Amino acid sequence: MKRPQAQVAVLQAADAQEDRRIDGVAEEADLVPEAATRAAFELEADGLVTVTEATLEHYDLTEEGERYVRESLPEQDLYEAAIDAGADEESVQMGQVIGASGLEGGAVDIALSNFARKGYGRIDSGEITADPDAAPGRDPEMHALEAVADGRAEDADADALDQLERRGLLEISEQTVRSVRLTDDGVTALMEGVEAAETVDQLTPELLTSGEWKDVEFTEYNVEADAEDVPHGKEHILRQTANRVKDTLVGMGFREMEGPHVDAQFWINDCLFMPQDHPARTHWDQFALERPDEIAHLPEDLVERVRSAHKNGVGPDGEGYHSPWEEEVARGLDLRGHTTSLSMRYLSGHEIGELEPPERFFSVEKVYRNDTLDPTHLLEFFQIEGWVMAEDLSVRDLMGTFTEFYEQFGITDLEFKPHYNPYTEPSFELFGTHPETGDVVEVGNSGIFRDEVLSPLGVDCDVMAWGLSLERLLMLMYGFEDIRDVHGTLCDLELLRETEVMR
Amino acid sequence: MPVVDVDPDELRHLTGHDEKDDEELKSDLFDLGLEFEGWTEDDEFQLEFAPDRLDRLSVEGVARSLRYHYGDDRGVYVPTTNSAEWTIEVEDQPEERPYVTGAVVRGLDMSEDALESLIQVQEKLHATMGRKRAKGAIGVHDLTMLKGEAASDGTGKSITYTSADPDEATFVPLDADREMTPNEVMAEHETGQTYGDLVADFDRVPAIYDAIGLFSFPPVINGRRTEVSEDSRDLFIEMTGTDQWTIDRMCNIVCYALEARGGKVERVEVQYADDAPGEYAGRTLERPDFEVRTKTVTLDRIESILGVDLDPRDVVDYAERAGLDATETRSEDGVSFEVEIPPYRVDVIHPLDVVDDIGRALGFNSLEPTYPDVSTVGGRHERSRLEDAARDTLVGLGFEDLLNFHMTNEAENFDRMNVAPDDDCVGAAEPVTIQEPYSEDYTILRTWALPSLMMVLENNTHRRYPQDLAEIGLAAWLDDTENTGAAEHRTVAGALARTDASYEDAKARLQAIAEAFDEDLRTPATTHPSFIDGRAAEVVLDGESVGVVGEIHPSVLVEHDLELPVAAFEFRLDALE
Repeated sequence: MKRPQAQVAVLQAADAQEDRRIDGVAEEADLVPEAATRAAFELEADGLVTVTEATLEHYDLTEEGERYVRESLPEQDLYEAAIDAGADEESVQMGQVIGASGLEGGAVDIALSNFARKGYGRIDSGEITADPDAAPGRDPEMHALEAVADGRAEDADADALDQLERRGLLEISEQTVRSVRLTDDGVTALMEGVEAAETVDQLTPELLTSGEWKDVEFTEYNVEADAEDVPHGKEHILRQTANRVKDTLVGMGFREMEGPHVDAQFWINDCLFMPQDHPARTHWDQFALERPDEIAHLPEDLVERVRSAHKNGVGPDGEGYHSPWEEEVARGLDLRGHTTSLSMRYLSGHEIGELEPPERFFSVEKVYRNDTLDPTHLLEFFQIEGWVMAEDLSVRDLMGTFTEFYEQFGITDLEFKPHYNPYTEPSFELFGTHPETGDVVEVGNSGIFRDEVLSPLGVDCDVMAWGLSLERLLMLMYGFEDIRDVHGTLCDLELLRETEVMR
Repeated sequence: MPVVDVDPDELRHLTGHDEKDDEELKSDLFDLGLEFEGWTEDDEFQLEFAPDRLDRLSVEGVARSLRYHYGDDRGVYVPTTNSAEWTIEVEDQPEERPYVTGAVVRGLDMSEDALESLIQVQEKLHATMGRKRAKGAIGVHDLTMLKGEAASDGTGKSITYTSADPDEATFVPLDADREMTPNEVMAEHETGQTYGDLVADFDRVPAIYDAIGLFSFPPVINGRRTEVSEDSRDLFIEMTGTDQWTIDRMCNIVCYALEARGGKVERVEVQYADDAPGEYAGRTLERPDFEVRTKTVTLDRIESILGVDLDPRDVVDYAERAGLDATETRSEDGVSFEVEIPPYRVDVIHPLDVVDDIGRALGFNSLEPTYPDVSTVGGRHERSRLEDAARDTLVGLGFEDLLNFHMTNEAENFDRMNVAPDDDCVGAAEPVTIQEPYSEDYTILRTWALPSLMMVLENNTHRRYPQDLAEIGLAAWLDDTENTGAAEHRTVAGALARTDASYEDAKARLQAIAEAFDEDLRTPATTHPSFIDGRAAEVVLDGESVGVVGEIHPSVLVEHDLELPVAAFEFRLDALE
């Protein structure tokens, strides 16, 4: 029969007549003790050996104990010095004997107390006498020390061993010792012949196809050890967040928009009914471009309708703004400050053709603001933009849609704080309860597009819209404190590698 | 967003609600959309609010809104005004700043608080409606210090809004103790230095004279002679600007604030000369213009926006609580309301704005959310799907997906990569440039993404290697054939930084990408200043040259403080379509 190498070795080292200790077997078989023990138990399970356990006391000399074995016990030194000083005949000044003995420090106290305990003599009123018959050369404690040192602890006197442990010269511990003995089946197996199975490091195609894998033993690995680092890629955490948002919105029936980053102020601001002298339209807030500086073509009829909305308003009671409106300004190019420019392009019918209600559209795309860079503000960030176009939308529909969206991200108890935007009325800032901290935090801005926005675009139903920054959503969900660590060339690769994936 | 400082004691006094403690006031203000931002050094509330209700830029305006909120006041209030004694004659005024308006307010008891509030409302109006004084600027004067000319029509007194030679006219401006010309004010006076630019290129600057002489140099600074103090009881208010409507509304907000302090508003006639520039030549305007405008809104529209059925009487009630007045009218088209708007409400420019007021009075948060019962089919844009598929492939090849800024500067995008914009190679193109950038780090849009990856490598030399980085993102450059003048592309860039990085490592990954997208890849040799000669190739996908692959040139590596080789590639995403 073929058995793994370790089992064969243990079988061969075991005896049918007497228990043999496994450590001895292991040594003989050139196995580590753990491997021999495991093999013994495997053999026991197959009825080839018996394994018995015994508890043995194990003795280890302390450093002090080892020193006394090499030299002698302090009380022996004291006794010799006392005999030399004649203390066996009459008492001698203790100081004289100690000085002659060469004992120092703590050894003096040890010597004195054991000298008396063992009856080597007497110590009285600073004088010492020695018993000439004491024969410290036959001291049982010294004998026991020497026996332990020689590995013959069984020869030592039990009381002496206890005494040595009390004196701190010896440490006694218990040890479980396992022994094996061949059973009759084991003897039979050996007589029939046992071969060691081959051990292999690597499972190979040859082993599999030849069927040899059945007879081989696989070398054991240290399965707990750390493995080498594997270079591994991961989608950027903001991309993961963006995809989570996109999945959610697609699931809610939204289609994705796409459009230019470099765009005319017309699409970015004028269509949104932002007056041309609005403070947010200065270059301090938006990135106006030096080159290219002007869009080649704007839809002329739309330009006229937008101009009219700004100058005269929309509808019989519409007033418009008392601000200048120049087409030249509208043609100026900016990096878009929001992706509402895409919404304007789509709603105008100039992007993918005229839209008929109902429609839902979204984008999660980059926008650019001339803001101060700080832990929560970047010059470019992702804006989530979404809108719903339908007949007769109410603020209740707006509330229902956004409640649904934010709940997908664990943000609940949405509150709608009436707000002002030039392009929506009514408008609401959205506040929600943070899933971790429970704080009420701002999560977006929303509203129903004004007639002054929709009418020039040729839309005669309602459109509600909202926006928020993706980075803000990420920070809420992940608790990042400095967005610059993940977005941009100052990013920390280690942080990106360690960031858990979004699920 | 505008911030207004308001003394809570003043609020209690002006609303007549002495029993309200600070916390109650804060909560009531929050309901109105005025958020408590903190305390000022003088123990006043700092309140932030959206920039529509500019009538709340004074403690008096905030108090008025609170009184409506508490139900102490209802409906439209228009103060009565006394007939005009004073006239502003307008002639030869600068055509760049043709308009003026004004009012007289008498019988004020200008306490320290009242004076502070008056100064604040001026400053805040300048910053908002006045567009930093360019569109409208306010001057308030102690009436008793003015000496009117006999008005040209023989009745009352007049002052004159005209223009002056900036080197000839003189007056003692506020915060000065000597006579100065307008040019001296603009050059030497602190306020003049701040606002002088508004009129610096006028041939003749705006000026207001009375019988004694020049007393105001709008929009820059008033004269010291007519400075308002706590002893002032009667005030003359003038405003100049580029739009009559705007300054008239600013004037209304100031007049309402002063009227709430117990002042009596007296009209002023603004008499434009027959040959005066602007739209009002030959006309006389009576100001302040406290005309009540009306907006007509149907019950249907209110109900459809708010999503609830309303009793017309409730609509009238909500309107009154918002400080409006609504009159119900019925016709065959249904119920509608004629809603009156008080003269300080500059934000109401469409009937929808009235619906918003009614919603606020009703309480938007009392509405039950509903999910709109319309069905649409969702889906991703095809470019976004392509980008995701390419990104998944890169990540599968072990690349760390990065996200860098599209904005960068010429040094990073070109110089540090050994590339010049007019080279003929990947990355070389005339970039989109930003007007007046205020950070030299961000002056252009990147023309390629490899420089971004090199910067990330540069900033992470203390981190574990290998560093295999990739990015799919925007690259743009000037292109006359595009409507916007800029071509925008998605670009795919990858960089392998490791001790044994070689051309083959980069090409192997390109091959894997090409295979994943079933594209035929060829890599004919090329030269590129960012790469080592003999170890650079064009990326040709299905016969079209779309990018570059190779080993980065040692000079570029050293420039980026890198101490190990980098193999890299970059190509256009649309090649994978």
